[in-house]
Amino acid sequence: MAVDITLLFRASVKTVKTRNKALGVAVGGGVDGSRDELFRRSPRPKGDFSSRAREVISHIGKLRDFLLEHRKDYINAYSHTMSEYGRMTDTERDQIDQDAQIFMRTCSEAIQQLRTEAHKEIHSQQVKEHRTAVLDFIEDYLKRVCKLYSEQRAIRVKRVVDKKRLSKLEPEPNTKTRESTSSEKVSQSPSKDSEENPATEERPEKILAETQPELGTWGDGKGEDELSPEEIQMFEQENQRLIGEMNSLFDEVRQIEGRVVEISRLQEIFTEKVLQQEAEIDSIHQLVVGATENIKEGNEDIREVPHL
Amino acid sequence: MAAAAAATAAAAASIRERQTVALKRMLNFNVPHIKNSTGEPVWKVLIYDRFGQDIISPLLSVKELRDMGITLHLLLHSDRDPIPDVPAVYFVMPTEENIDRMCQDLRNQLYESYYLNFISAISRSKLEDIANAALAASAVTQVAKVFDQYLNFITLEDDMFVLCNQNKELVSYRAINRPDITDTEMETVMDTIVDSLFCFFVTLGAVPIIRCSRGTAAEMVAVKLDKKLRENLRDARNSLFTGDTLGAGQFSFQRPLLVLVDRNIDLATPLHHTWTYQALVHDVLDFHLNRVNLEESSGVENSPAGARPKRKNKKSYDLTPVDKFWQKHKGSPFPEVAESVQQELESYRAQEDEVKRLKSIMGLEGEDEGAISMLSDNTAKLTSAVSSLPELLEKKRLIDLHTNVATAVLEHIKARKLDVYFEYEEKIMSKTTLDKSLLDIISDPDAGTPEDKMRLFLIYYISTQQAPSEADLEQYKKALTDAGCNLNPLQYIKQWNTTSFFHRAFTKMASAPASYGSTTTKPMGLLSRVMNTGSQFVMEGVKNLVLKQQNLPVTRILDNLMEMKSNPETDDYRYFDPKMLRGNDSSVPRNKNPFQEAIVFVVGGGNYIEYQNLVDYIKGKQGKHILYGCSELFNATQFIKQLSQLGQK
Repeated sequence: MAVDITLLFRASVKTVKTRNKALGVAVGGGVDGSRDELFRRSPRPKGDFSSRAREVISHIGKLRDFLLEHRKDYINAYSHTMSEYGRMTDTERDQIDQDAQIFMRTCSEAIQQLRTEAHKEIHSQQVKEHRTAVLDFIEDYLKRVCKLYSEQRAIRVKRVVDKKRLSKLEPEPNTKTRESTSSEKVSQSPSKDSEENPATEERPEKILAETQPELGTWGDGKGEDELSPEEIQMFEQENQRLIGEMNSLFDEVRQIEGRVVEISRLQEIFTEKVLQQEAEIDSIHQLVVGATENIKEGNEDIREVPHL
Repeated sequence: MAAAAAATAAAAASIRERQTVALKRMLNFNVPHIKNSTGEPVWKVLIYDRFGQDIISPLLSVKELRDMGITLHLLLHSDRDPIPDVPAVYFVMPTEENIDRMCQDLRNQLYESYYLNFISAISRSKLEDIANAALAASAVTQVAKVFDQYLNFITLEDDMFVLCNQNKELVSYRAINRPDITDTEMETVMDTIVDSLFCFFVTLGAVPIIRCSRGTAAEMVAVKLDKKLRENLRDARNSLFTGDTLGAGQFSFQRPLLVLVDRNIDLATPLHHTWTYQALVHDVLDFHLNRVNLEESSGVENSPAGARPKRKNKKSYDLTPVDKFWQKHKGSPFPEVAESVQQELESYRAQEDEVKRLKSIMGLEGEDEGAISMLSDNTAKLTSAVSSLPELLEKKRLIDLHTNVATAVLEHIKARKLDVYFEYEEKIMSKTTLDKSLLDIISDPDAGTPEDKMRLFLIYYISTQQAPSEADLEQYKKALTDAGCNLNPLQYIKQWNTTSFFHRAFTKMASAPASYGSTTTKPMGLLSRVMNTGSQFVMEGVKNLVLKQQNLPVTRILDNLMEMKSNPETDDYRYFDPKMLRGNDSSVPRNKNPFQEAIVFVVGGGNYIEYQNLVDYIKGKQGKHILYGCSELFNATQFIKQLSQLGQK
């Protein structure tokens, strides 16, 4: 368990001060302690670098605060049910997205700039190392804050996709019930459906939507209330088949969605790796170039040596 | 009661964890460290001396230092440039030269602010020296915090620690046992040891009950430690052991037992040849502070005449707690290790093939419609494969590491026939009949280095009930000198033997039946499997020895004391309880219950064989924990050197 002896230290400082005064020792700068200290410290190079680094950090901090502040509203899916204060329209969300992106871009540019400037005028190896490390930290901080943003955005996108999916599903249960009640009117449209081979989900939606007004006209036009049992059976079979087709379509689409998400994740990973490799390939390239030069020179030297 | 037991078990948080937590707090400007994913970065510079370096390096890797915000880590006594605007954390011993250098830093205004942390407590006068320098440099406000860390020991494993590395000559076996040591020198050595032990208990957060044997250096340590703990407890204001500082680590139900033993109780174990992985690595390779340095000889090649000799490749590996293979197998007998490496390699290859197979499935996409349905699964598989790649790579790295290390060890074993030595020594120590005469082994030019033979002979000499006759002795000596051994260690051991106390104590123990382990040669099954799988570790001609668990002397002593067993060798051990109001000298322990927690500390040096033996012993006991510590860690080579230095005088 560590023991804090800072107070002890301060006490020692006082003791030493009084002792020195008593002994009449002129402590260099200690007499006008406070004034001298200030005087001493101002000409010290405050470090352009570190103040700018801190500026960048405070900017990133502002971005982070901004994102966190609006995070709750941003993610809130039920904004349409809540009161005005909690609501955030999509345009506002887009605005936040845009602002955040611009901000992030400026921050990363600032970091890049600092990086190039950091190595000028400095001769000490240690200071260079230190600055590189500091910039790495800042970049890491920026990445973490950007992750906040991208998480939010991913949630939002997912919500939108889910909503869309839900909204497409809704007509199905309605039309299903309608179909079973007014089966004869649907006989024509299902056959049309099967011929058209619906590949997208919008088409079934459209067709179903179409059948609704058609049902109306048909219902009015036909005037027949009776159906033969065979026809009923046939219609029911058609219904089942349609439902089956819609379901399989739906499954396929879901699969595709899943795959696309996976692919995007893979893309992310791959881009990262490729970027890493780029740096390494650059260094390998340098090495190879250097090696070729050396070999060339070596060959020349060997040629110069007169054969014995 | 179950909850209490769980609490004590959890409370026995490893010493490694505690020290790491303490270090991290120190690096976080002496404030407890909380992981905050959106926290602002803070950067700092770490300055340490060699002591500090030895303490930090087994616990925190460079990456972990980076994660704590450290941009640079530098030695105190190196050329350091001023870095403006950055706080500096110092972690040094409060010695004269360190203090001087720190004052110089203050005068040169190297950093923005200073956080001074002393590994062990700093004296008042030295603190005033720093205050003086700070005043002179008008830097008093820059000294932000000053702390006494009480971390003056090196933790190597969860349950093993060493006192020091840098100044180990000061507290070595030789330093303690040399005949020409003066009282003041002895005092210094004892003080150093006690200081470290004190720091250890402060970090552990417990006040132990101390037991030690009489008339040894261990007793001196015990007396001093007891005194120091006592003084600290009495000083209510500054006590380091109050309830709130102990925190969660409070052993509120049971206090730990500290057993202080002297190396002289058992000189055979440090010389012993060994068969478990970690101990072998320490014995045979250059293994230091959890880092092993290998010299890879770059194969036999025909080098053209006149070419410069090939440079040997030096590689060093860190064997860390993150290395799962090491954690699992560091105590296993070597053949098992070889087999496990093989198994790991196979499973890694299987995983690699999985990933490669996916690639070929992907290739089918354009051709086979039926594969499309498989594809959706495979996309997910691909993602999981890709994200598991870093894991695979890490696994590969570890497998490579252990393959290299184990191969190096195996080479030594084969070259020096260490398995033969091991078996023979075990037989000697357990007093079973020897099938080969000692003389034969010593004169055998193929088996082992001169040092190996010396070790064998010394073990024999130490373990026999009666000293060999003069004639025999002369014969042995001649054989040893013929083999190239230096006879100085023998001189010392003779002395040790005749020092009535130790010899008496040792023969008392040695007379107990089967005091050392015995081994059996396991039937060839295991070995033949290894060979049949075309393993790299061709252990032909190497015996597949299996250790039977028996207790070494140190373990037996611990067992007696921990379980409150009555035994002539430990009955007259002294008993100290720093918490008792009056220090009484009785040997009668007040506490009659067996201990749950014990710390064994060997004054004069220890090694991994003893450590492994203790670990094996405690494995069988539920809910009990042992920590092993020693003043220095040496392998047989280093020990023989010390013995021969002692024998020279």
